Amino acid sequence: MEVLVELERVSKAYEQKAAVRELSLKIEAGTMFGLLGPNGAGKTSTIRMIVGITLPDAGKVSLFSKPWANTSLRRVGYLPEERGLYKKMKVLEQLVFLGELRGLGAAEAARRAKTWCERMQIGDSLDKKTEELSKGMQQKIQFISTLLHDPELIIMDEPFSGLDPVNTLLLQDTLVELKKQGNAVLFSTHRMDQVEKLCDAICLVNRGEAVLSGGMREIKSRYERNHVIIQYEGADGFLQHPAIAEYKSYAGLAEIRLKPHADAQDLLRTAVATSKITKFELVEPSLEEIFIETVGGRADA
Amino acid sequence: MLRNTLLIAKREYLERVRSRVFRITTILVPIGMGGIALLGGLGGKRMEAGLQNLAVVSNSPVLAQQVKASLENREHGPKSVQVFAPATDADLSQLNQRVANREIQGYLTLNTVPGQTLPTATWTSGSSTDFIGKTQMQGAVSDGLVRQELLTRGLTEDQINALTKEIKVSTSQVKNGVVVKSDTERSFAGAYVLILVLYGSVLIYGINIARSVVEEKTSRIFEVLLSTASPDDLMMGKLLGVGATGLTQLAIWTALAVAVGGSALAQSQGIHGISSMGLTNIELLYFPVFFIGGFYLYSALAAALGSSVSAEQEVQQFSFILVSPLVVSVVMMVYVMQNPSSTASVVMSLLPPFTPIIMYMRICAQMPPMWQVWLSIALLAASVWGMVWLSARIYRVGVLMYGKRATLPEMLRWLRYS
Repeated sequence: MEVLVELERVSKAYEQKAAVRELSLKIEAGTMFGLLGPNGAGKTSTIRMIVGITLPDAGKVSLFSKPWANTSLRRVGYLPEERGLYKKMKVLEQLVFLGELRGLGAAEAARRAKTWCERMQIGDSLDKKTEELSKGMQQKIQFISTLLHDPELIIMDEPFSGLDPVNTLLLQDTLVELKKQGNAVLFSTHRMDQVEKLCDAICLVNRGEAVLSGGMREIKSRYERNHVIIQYEGADGFLQHPAIAEYKSYAGLAEIRLKPHADAQDLLRTAVATSKITKFELVEPSLEEIFIETVGGRADA
Repeated sequence: MLRNTLLIAKREYLERVRSRVFRITTILVPIGMGGIALLGGLGGKRMEAGLQNLAVVSNSPVLAQQVKASLENREHGPKSVQVFAPATDADLSQLNQRVANREIQGYLTLNTVPGQTLPTATWTSGSSTDFIGKTQMQGAVSDGLVRQELLTRGLTEDQINALTKEIKVSTSQVKNGVVVKSDTERSFAGAYVLILVLYGSVLIYGINIARSVVEEKTSRIFEVLLSTASPDDLMMGKLLGVGATGLTQLAIWTALAVAVGGSALAQSQGIHGISSMGLTNIELLYFPVFFIGGFYLYSALAAALGSSVSAEQEVQQFSFILVSPLVVSVVMMVYVMQNPSSTASVVMSLLPPFTPIIMYMRICAQMPPMWQVWLSIALLAASVWGMVWLSARIYRVGVLMYGKRATLPEMLRWLRYS
C-alpha cells in the first residue's frame, strides 16, 4: 500500500502553548483515517501542517512518499474547519473558479460541478448566489469544491459538524465510496461513534499527543472484552461472582465490568446454575470507552 | 504561478465590474464632475460679467462722464451706467431704493474737493462683500482721472480709448534651452489631473483592496485558497484584478471626456479636446506611467494594511495613513513647481511614495535629466514589487493569527517560507 501521508515526530507550538507534540502517523491509500480527540486537542493544527498552511516547528511531513512540497497539493482536497466561500459569487462560478485553481479547465470544471451538484441534491441552486443559500447547502458546495479535481488524498476538518442527519449520511456515503475507489480520506471529529463506523485506522490525539493510533481492529483487539451484558429471569445471586469488578443492575438486565483477566465462562456457568439466562454477551469496548480508559484523568474535561 | 495569479485576477475583476457599485460610480461620477464643471463655469461667467447696471453720482459732470467712459471701455464692462451729476437728494433716495430692489447693483459717489487733486470715492452696493465691484471701481476711478487729464490736454475721445485699452500679456518659457509659448494657468493642468485622479482612485480602489483582503480573512476563504495558491499569487492576482477594474473605469471616463471634449458643444465653449488642457506630448506620455506606478504602489500598501488588521472598521482608520504621502506631495507641489531642480525636489521625486506626483510635477515644470526620470521609475517599480512581496507575507501571517499579533521570530520564519 502506498503511504500518502506520513508525519514523523511533528511538533508545533503557538506562542508558549504546545499545540502538537511529537506526533507521528501514517495514512495509506484506500483507507479512511480518523483523527479524533476532544476540542483543542491539536487536530486542526495537525491538519494544517499536512496541507502546509502552517509549518511544523520540528519533525517531518511527507506527502505521497516525498518531503512536503507545494506541488503535491494539487493531489489533495482540503476542507477547512472554518468554511469560507465568496458570498457574492454564483454557485457554479464559484465551483468553476475553485476547480480551475486546482488545475482543471473551465469546461471540465463546470461539467464536474454540475454532476456533483446533482449527486449532492443541490442541482437547482447552480445559478443562485452563495449568500442566498442555507448554511447546510453552503457546506455541501464547499464539500464539492474539495472533491472537484478528483484528489487522491481527501482531508476534511470536522466535515459533518452542523449538518442534519440526512445530509451527514449523504456525505458519509460519498466518502465511503471515494475510499472504495482507492482514495485516502482523512477526517477529524470529536464524535467517536462516527469514527467507529467509518474508519479503518485512527489516531487519537489528546493535548497535542497521539495517545492511541493504528488500525481500528488492531486497537480494539488490544483491549480486553471485559464488558458483559446478561439478560436473565430469576435470582441475581450470580452478580456476587468474584470475577465481577462492578455492575449495574436493571430489571432483568445487568451490565457488568469484569476484573482484569477474569474468566467470563465461569461467570456464565454460575449464572446458568442459578437463573434462566436469555442473553449473555461479551461486548468489545467502544472507542469512547477506550478513549476514556486511555486518557483517563488526563483528558481535558 | 502565473496561471493562478491570472485566475484570481479574473475573478476579482469580474466580481467588481459586474457589481452595482461599479455601474453606479461609472455613471454618477462623470455626471457629478460635469455638474461641478457646469456650476464652476456659470460661477466664472458671473464673476467675469461682474458688473450689472450701475450709476455714477458726482459733483463733477466731466469726471463722472470719464469714469462712465472708462467703465464702458472695459472688456467685461457693465450693462449700463447712469450718470447723476450733480445729484439731488431725491435722486439719491431713489438710487438707494433701486439698490434695495436690486434694479441696479450699486452706485459710485465721487466728490471733488476744491484744493485737492483726488476726489473721494464711495461704492454703495447691496452687498457687504462686493469686493469685485470695489476693485473694478478703483480701476475705473483712476482711469477716469487719467482720461479727464488727457481730455484737458486736447486728446479726442477715440485717442483716449485707444490709449487706455487693456493690453493682454502672453507668457513663454525657456524649456530645454528653447523658448516655447507657455500658459501659466494651464501648464500644470496635467499634474493637477494626475493628483486628482490618483488621489481619487487610491481612496476608492485602495480601500476596496484592503476591504477585500479583510473580507477573505473574516470569511476564512483564504484557507481554501492557500491550500492551492501561494500568497504571492493571491496578492498579485488581487492587485491586478482590482487594478484592472480601476483602469477600466478610468478608460471609460477618459473616452467619455474625449467624446464630450471633442463635441460641438465643448468647442463652442472654447474647449478643443485634450489639447486644450495644455498638455504636451511628453506630459501625455508620462501620465499613464506615473499614474499606473502610483496606483499599484498605493494599492499594494493598502493590501498590506488590510492584511494586518482583523476587522473592516479598522480599514477606515488606516485610510489616512494610506493617503498621507499623497497629501504631503500636494503640500510640496507649489515649492516643486517653483524650484523643480532644487536638491529637495530631486530627492523627493526619487522617493517612491512621492515619485508619481513630484516627478510628474518636475517633468511638467522643466524636463529633469533623463537618468533621474528613469531612476525614479525603476525605484517605483521595484518598490511596487517589494510591497507586493511584503504584503503577501503579512497576509500569510496575518490571516492565520486569530486576533493575536505575530512575534518577530515568527514573522522572520514566515518571510523565509514561500
